[in-house]
Amino acid sequence: MKLYQVVLKDVIRRKRRVLYATLGVVIGTATVVGILTVARAGQERIYNQLEKYGPNLAVIPAINNLDMKLGDVRLGMLAVGDNYVSEDKLPQIRQIADGEIRKALKIEDEGNIATIAPNLYIDTKIGDTSVMVVGVDPQEEIKIKTWWRVSQGKYLDQEDQALVGAIAAEILKLNVGDVIPLDGTNITVAGILEETGSNDDYQIFVPINTLQKAFGREGLVSSVDIRALCNACPVEIIADGINKEVPGVRAVAVKQIAASEMGMMEKMSKFMLTLAGITLAVGLFGVVNTMMTSVNERIKDIGIMRAVGASRSQIVKAFIYEAIIIGIIGGILGYAVGTFLAYIAGPLVFEGTTVALVPQYFALALVLAIAVAVVAAVYPAIRATQIKVADSFRSL
Amino acid sequence: MLELKGISKIYGEGSARVVALDKISFSADEDNFVAVMGPSGSGKSTFLNIIGGLDRPSKGEVILDGQRIDDLDENSLVDIRRGKIAYVFQQYHLLQSLTALENVLLPLVFCGASKDEDRALEILEKVGLGKRTGHKPSQLSGGEQQRVAIARALVSMPSLILADEPTGNMDRKTGSEILRLFTQLHKEGHGIIMVTHDPEIADYANIKVFLQDGRLVKKTNHKVRRPKKR
Repeated sequence: MKLYQVVLKDVIRRKRRVLYATLGVVIGTATVVGILTVARAGQERIYNQLEKYGPNLAVIPAINNLDMKLGDVRLGMLAVGDNYVSEDKLPQIRQIADGEIRKALKIEDEGNIATIAPNLYIDTKIGDTSVMVVGVDPQEEIKIKTWWRVSQGKYLDQEDQALVGAIAAEILKLNVGDVIPLDGTNITVAGILEETGSNDDYQIFVPINTLQKAFGREGLVSSVDIRALCNACPVEIIADGINKEVPGVRAVAVKQIAASEMGMMEKMSKFMLTLAGITLAVGLFGVVNTMMTSVNERIKDIGIMRAVGASRSQIVKAFIYEAIIIGIIGGILGYAVGTFLAYIAGPLVFEGTTVALVPQYFALALVLAIAVAVVAAVYPAIRATQIKVADSFRSL
Repeated sequence: MLELKGISKIYGEGSARVVALDKISFSADEDNFVAVMGPSGSGKSTFLNIIGGLDRPSKGEVILDGQRIDDLDENSLVDIRRGKIAYVFQQYHLLQSLTALENVLLPLVFCGASKDEDRALEILEKVGLGKRTGHKPSQLSGGEQQRVAIARALVSMPSLILADEPTGNMDRKTGSEILRLFTQLHKEGHGIIMVTHDPEIADYANIKVFLQDGRLVKKTNHKVRRPKKR
């Protein structure tokens, strides 16, 4: 028989009291696991949004708004510059984008890397309804708008086809196979998109060449979306390069939005973890308290052990063993409870988030719980060794 | 050889001052069976606790086998409890979560000799509990629990067994069985110091010590009821 077996048998006999002591550990560990799991789910969601965000860069015509002033009197604004970017600039833009990515990732590959999707926006009327028709490069566009799903029909594969946003289709009562006259050019509805919750729902997408011809805008695009396809891609550098080298356009990195959201998330995580730490500390005091009660209850048993030859350090060891048992039980329960709470709280905190089980937090929960229980046991254990054997029997 | 020189034990201070033992000197050989007698509150238990190093005297010296033990540090006292001295208590003081056998093995757990199950079983057989080794204290009668406690005392092979009213919780028949066991142990060479207030029980011993108000008032040596040597 070993000391830990003696402790284990005693713990089994006093299981209610031990479970009560475990409660403090469970609450603390569950809070930490719960918060970490929810925070992780939130981060995951932001990453997904980042992904969904589509382009990392938007290239738009460089339009300068000039204030027209006469003395102190403002006369209005004047837009200077073109409303369009010339298609001729696309190869140059690609060269800069791919060049910077190659430099950043140290790759030699000659092929195209970045997705470069030109858009042409035309505000027109179908029947009496005003609608935005967007010219797209079908192959490139779908690489940026990875979340697009065609609910009816199919995706664009011919020049005289249209893909209609969900709400636009509803308003215009368009079905697959319907023909839309666009400034004299007839195009057929090839497919209807699932609702995306973005502006896309209100728009009609047509191959850019068709739209350019139909409205006499050959060689012109309204904007270019660039997707670098990696998280580490130097989008700011690409934007700087384009701004410097390509005249008449302005490139904007859209990563900042996600980055600032990420920063918010990190701050929130820190705050929540502080809260969890406080809960853990409170749990610790709870465990100290129940352990002290347990010392008082077991003064006699401690006296017996001392009388038959237990040293002080063996008594401390016995308490540490008990704490480890409490920690293991507390860690397992804490992980289970924390994950369960995260399942409930996750979707409330981040709408529409599904919380995933994080197995590596199990190890964390176990380590944390055992650490808390052992720390909590130290003071009661030392107190236990200070009891005089003779006194422990006299008090009964 | 056990020797007490001018032992005093004082609890509390000022008006709450209680003199539990007052300048007691006493000596006994290790093959003696000593009965410590006296009315309740006369200091019998304190006397026993001081001999065994469970309590420290306020004044005086306790010498066991030529070694002073009243001023030993905690660790050296642990060594004495593991080898030379063992206790048997009125309340048995068994761990409720352990079986009879496990209770007997407990002293060995602490001194690190955890593989001596055979000896523990042998001793339990000797005290008449060979068939109840797997029972928990709550499943045993008072007499049986005390036998477990005696077996636990014997497992570390002490030269001196200190017993505090070992039959105090038992009826006369069970008590005399336990006393027969003590007598047998005495014959086998264990020194025994037993506290009791019952003169009939004290008759099993060969030395009687009377305490009153913390003072040793009488010490008598006499023939025991049963032959001392085989």
